[in-house]
Amino acid sequence: MSVNLAHTQQTRVSESLRSKVPLVSTMAATSSAGEIAISSEEKVYNVVLKQAALVNRRLTPPATKDLHRMKPDGAAVPGNLSLLKEAYDRCGEICAEYAKTFYLATLLMTPERRRAIWAIYVWCRRTDELVDGPNAPHITPTALDRWEARLEGLFRGSPFDMLDAALSDTVKKFPVDIQPFKDMIEGMRMDLRKSRYKNFDELYLYCYYVAGTVGLMSVPVMGIAPESLATTESVYNAALALGIANQLTNILRDVGEDAQRGRIYLPQDELAQAGLSDEDIFCGKVTDKWRNFMKEQIKRARMLFDEAEQGVKELNASSRWPVWASLLLYRQILDEIEANDFNNFTKRAYVSKAKKLIALPVAYARSLAGPT
Amino acid sequence: MVSLSRVLSVSYPAKPSVPCKTFSSSSRLVQKPRLNSKWRSMATEPDSSSFAPSVDSDSSADKVTAGFCIIEGPETVQDFANMELQEIQDNIRSRRNKIFLQMEEVRRLRIQQRIKSAELGILKEEQENELPNFPSFIPFLPPLTSANLKVYYATCYSLIAGIILFGGLIAPTLELKLGLGGTSYADFISSMHLPMQLSEVDPIVASFSGGAVGVISALMVVEINNVKQQEHKRCKYCLGTGYLACARCSNTGSIVLIEPVSTVHGGDQPLSTPKTERCSNCSGSGKVMCPTCLCTGMAMASEHDPRIDPFD
Repeated sequence: MSVNLAHTQQTRVSESLRSKVPLVSTMAATSSAGEIAISSEEKVYNVVLKQAALVNRRLTPPATKDLHRMKPDGAAVPGNLSLLKEAYDRCGEICAEYAKTFYLATLLMTPERRRAIWAIYVWCRRTDELVDGPNAPHITPTALDRWEARLEGLFRGSPFDMLDAALSDTVKKFPVDIQPFKDMIEGMRMDLRKSRYKNFDELYLYCYYVAGTVGLMSVPVMGIAPESLATTESVYNAALALGIANQLTNILRDVGEDAQRGRIYLPQDELAQAGLSDEDIFCGKVTDKWRNFMKEQIKRARMLFDEAEQGVKELNASSRWPVWASLLLYRQILDEIEANDFNNFTKRAYVSKAKKLIALPVAYARSLAGPT
Repeated sequence: MVSLSRVLSVSYPAKPSVPCKTFSSSSRLVQKPRLNSKWRSMATEPDSSSFAPSVDSDSSADKVTAGFCIIEGPETVQDFANMELQEIQDNIRSRRNKIFLQMEEVRRLRIQQRIKSAELGILKEEQENELPNFPSFIPFLPPLTSANLKVYYATCYSLIAGIILFGGLIAPTLELKLGLGGTSYADFISSMHLPMQLSEVDPIVASFSGGAVGVISALMVVEINNVKQQEHKRCKYCLGTGYLACARCSNTGSIVLIEPVSTVHGGDQPLSTPKTERCSNCSGSGKVMCPTCLCTGMAMASEHDPRIDPFD
């Protein structure tokens, strides 16, 4: 699949790259007088371009490079395959435990893709728990550096433990790049330092680090439909938009919970514009100012979901249904926040089981529409 | 006090303190003056995440502990590899001592915290040292406290009394027939076209069987709920074992060394058995630390949990 992808996409991407690159540099030059200040959106866009280019440059499936690679001082011992199967099963159990809706969506995928997504999910969750979980007080920058070293090891074919081994096997089978993973660790480093975001630009970068990267990680697994005429980077952009929309939805749902831990993931300048301050959020009272502010935030998140919808059509036929399902389900959370009268301080917006079940056939219907 | 500020900067989860049985080495209790010197020396270490370098043990250990990091990598079990056996034992002893003393510090700090909160009028949300709520093992029932335990007893006894009254007095008086459509057991048997002998079951036997079925299914429900709750407390990544299989040696503990054998010249000689060496990732145990639960096997590692040993 990846080979077909490479051959058909390569010529198109190089043309669009040539047309897009000058655009980016002019955007950079005119953004502010004197210094070349690159906005987060442009930085992230550059990453997307690089990812798309890497996928297209991979003419040989990466599997042949590493599959029979000898480790410098030893070799794989028999028993590897059963350990790998057990590792993937464990990843599935962990996913089922911590993200039930997401797990249900993965059941709609093909078995190989399902296992790959589980492995990616578990790595991302373990990384997130380093700074967010019960052991967070003990995590230092050194700990994150070591975690990054383990990541590099598993990409080289030397995973440390069995869950790393599952991800190592996944990146052998699918053309996944290491950069989004490194960026996610960078996002964790950011989370250690920051608890306030001055403007949307900073928040966008954070959302890219923790959620946009997940979109970029999963596109190579989902696969772009061979008959798609869209550019690779437009699909990556749509995946990025979906990730960021998901993260913004999370943020808007968990305002109260985050405030209790002293964190506010809303842009400070927009809060000021709406006449709100940190104290109002810690206070937890729903006022008209808050309602207006939330309406604007929800509008922006919905715009990103709309942008993401454009790209789902271009994915492989067997991957469209689960992606549509997760998109529609997550989007519904925004509706629930509205239904709660924008009270995200004390009420947790959640989608009822009935609504979740109805979303499945709706998603199926939308997934029938293929690439335009 | 500098040590206080260091201690306060670490936020441990506020759980009720479980009496620690591991510190039977309380015979090593230190007298007051030495206690103060220990606290002052602890204040010198850099930040909250590294373990305090031991004061009365060897200075060579200090270099190692200064770079301590809670995430394992391929070479980390070798952190203390350069020590001699006696050094290691001394290190273990002094660290155990320190943990014991620090737990006592935490206890005293908590007392002060409680006093100060009360002075400032800050209401503490959870009364940790009161008898905690026991979530009921039976699903759908509200959690038990010592207060509503009395209500539970009363409800239970009255239900039993009511059912005995119903079965013994009310039902025979009203000639109550609880079969489908108001049939008795005899009617039910004849409608199923089974031999009428079956309808002549003795009432005592019938009530015994019914009661036994009820009790057994109730116990099953309670057990299943119990298992679910215990599983809930288990770390999901390592399934309560505290360890994940080492990927380098695939859980065996040893790596097979490969020696390329040339088949051109020495083709007739039989292959020698491959040499193995101990896996450096896991030091031969075949498993590595689960970074989520830190080898405790619990869903959330706290300072009270004993760490699971790989060689057990």
